[in-house]
Amino acid sequence: MTISASPLDYGVQFVAMASDCEVRLAGVAAARAQTLAALAIAEVQRIETKYSRYRTDSVVSRINVASGNGASIGIDAETAQLLAFATQLFALSDGLFDATSGVLRQVWDFKTGRKPSPAQLKAVLPRIGWSHVQWNEQTARLMQPGMELDFGGFGKEYAADRAATLLAEEGVQHGLVNLGGDIRVIGPQADGSPWLMGIRDPREAREARKARAARPEGAVIASIPISAGALATSGDYERFFIADGERFCHILNPKTGWPAQHWQSISVIAPICVAAGAMATTAMLKGPDALAFLQGQDVSYLAIDADGQILRSD
Amino acid sequence: MAATDRKDDATPRAWTPGSFTLAALALPGVMAAPAVAEGVPETAFVAAKVQAYNDWQPGLDRIKVIAPSMYVLAPFAGTWSIESTLVHDSISGASPRWHTSISGASRMKDERTAVDVKVMRYFDRWSVGLRGSNSTENDYRSNAVALEARVSSADNNTTWVAGAGVTRDTINPVNELVVNEKKSVTDLMLGVTQTWTKNDLLQANLSYVRGRGYFNDPYKLADIRPRSRDQTVALLRWNHFIEGDNAMLAGSTVRSSYRYYSDTFGVRAHTAQLEWVKPISDRFSVIPSARYYTQGAASFYFDPVYDPVIGEPFPVGNPRYFSPDTRLSAYGAITLGAKVEWRIDQRWTTDVKYERYEQRSGWRLGGNGSPGLARFSAQFLQLGISRRF
Repeated sequence: MTISASPLDYGVQFVAMASDCEVRLAGVAAARAQTLAALAIAEVQRIETKYSRYRTDSVVSRINVASGNGASIGIDAETAQLLAFATQLFALSDGLFDATSGVLRQVWDFKTGRKPSPAQLKAVLPRIGWSHVQWNEQTARLMQPGMELDFGGFGKEYAADRAATLLAEEGVQHGLVNLGGDIRVIGPQADGSPWLMGIRDPREAREARKARAARPEGAVIASIPISAGALATSGDYERFFIADGERFCHILNPKTGWPAQHWQSISVIAPICVAAGAMATTAMLKGPDALAFLQGQDVSYLAIDADGQILRSD
Repeated sequence: MAATDRKDDATPRAWTPGSFTLAALALPGVMAAPAVAEGVPETAFVAAKVQAYNDWQPGLDRIKVIAPSMYVLAPFAGTWSIESTLVHDSISGASPRWHTSISGASRMKDERTAVDVKVMRYFDRWSVGLRGSNSTENDYRSNAVALEARVSSADNNTTWVAGAGVTRDTINPVNELVVNEKKSVTDLMLGVTQTWTKNDLLQANLSYVRGRGYFNDPYKLADIRPRSRDQTVALLRWNHFIEGDNAMLAGSTVRSSYRYYSDTFGVRAHTAQLEWVKPISDRFSVIPSARYYTQGAASFYFDPVYDPVIGEPFPVGNPRYFSPDTRLSAYGAITLGAKVEWRIDQRWTTDVKYERYEQRSGWRLGGNGSPGLARFSAQFLQLGISRRF
């Protein structure tokens, strides 16, 4: 964790959920800013610990280990509310946002860059499906053996919302929480002007991005000013490989098992980060229907199509 | 190069939440409470209470009080609220032994009706309130008006309050010792409430009360007090919410307070109070409490020591002021109590509160208690029910 500061404007950088994160606070004294940032970081870490699928002691791991064996795992109120949210996302996205689609990672290997065979896809698809998740206020279980629940599709966004809300309730009026590009704004900069959010150029070469790490604005293709609400971006550049001239990214359709290919990236501005992120991912998977879907949700967006053209809401 | 948005700020000003946003809003802790005008009550609130009080001394049951009350709080016109309390007391019993002109613990009966109405107007970060109250007994009438203003800091962590009030009393004792005597009281109050951490709330209040007029007890044989009494009261409060893993303590709140009192009668008093708000389940809370009070006697208080010649106690010498009122003596007192709250559903709440009070001169801290006073005990029971709308 590092701290960079100009008078009354503090940025605290840290790594959580395998992402570069920052808590930015303006208009508060240094000592208070550090206390507040620690509070926000602790909340992010709490959510990471509780829901990480990489930790065997997380509630998600315990549910996954018991998949198909009939055992119900006890859950708390927060987990039940997240399952309720995932249930709604599944319905609202017509099945495109499915928190059980993580098993597709087992057949899509982005390191070696090999496409799965039709047989491999056919084998894994039955282990995906929100309808196989049985839950109530106290317990949850996965009905198919080998199924996996994964809150990765909204966990980071949820953590950004929780941390920012905590800070707002502590009286913070100027600042934001940025968890690897999932950003929840608490309030505008100390002088009242909006924060300028950079949208990353999806096609900038990885090497160039590394070289520009010290000057991150160099990788920016557009900027969006925001003084409240949230911004989340879903893009085909985080994890991908190119085979036979085609690009295959990690945003996978749970119905077909196949990656989204219509958009390079979609950024959504919404009141709450967890909603913005879910809409961005759903829009990526909606393909040509993405913009109509976003307009129907009454949110602002910035979409970059396969040719690199920027389309934005007015 | 970055293509900056043509608009100055992409933040949607008036959100019509879509279905995704509505779903997200149901998640816990992702949205701070919406900013409305400072402190406007969101819903109307009605409470009814019955309080029963009785006190006794060894071998003598004294006063019994039954007091039903009604409380209403209602927001109106968006930025206003009205609050009203109506109390009716019926008091019956004997006045204190040793200290009555009618020897042998006379029986008494009295009734009091009190009305209190407060209107508040809320602005963005401040609010003003006007309070009027009236209390009527057969021998005592009291009218009061008070003005209060509250201001909160931009971050809502600090709230300042200032108040001023005037009370006019008319006293017509049934024994016609005096007729149409008056007492007038002016009070000023300054206070600050500070959110210290997310789990700690601190409050400090300072009051100055200036009283002029008739302070005597007309039912006491020898009771002549100064016609002026100025009081200074300082109050400190600390509410602490306990976090952590301790199953017994986590999730509970400790409320502590200290009060200093001083007046120109010479009374100095200290009160320390501790309350523990312990939620037992989603619906039940128990709130045990303890209070310690200690005071020094008024400068003109005389001890109730029976004289073999003149009999009933009387002040020694020829003082200008004198009073045998036990409330002006030196003593200490302990109150232990508990309250149980039951939230029946979102709207209805009911509670039972019991307190036991005991006063002894020997319990005074930092000095001797007044001699010759019997132990004084009281208990208090309250049943309440309230509904939100």
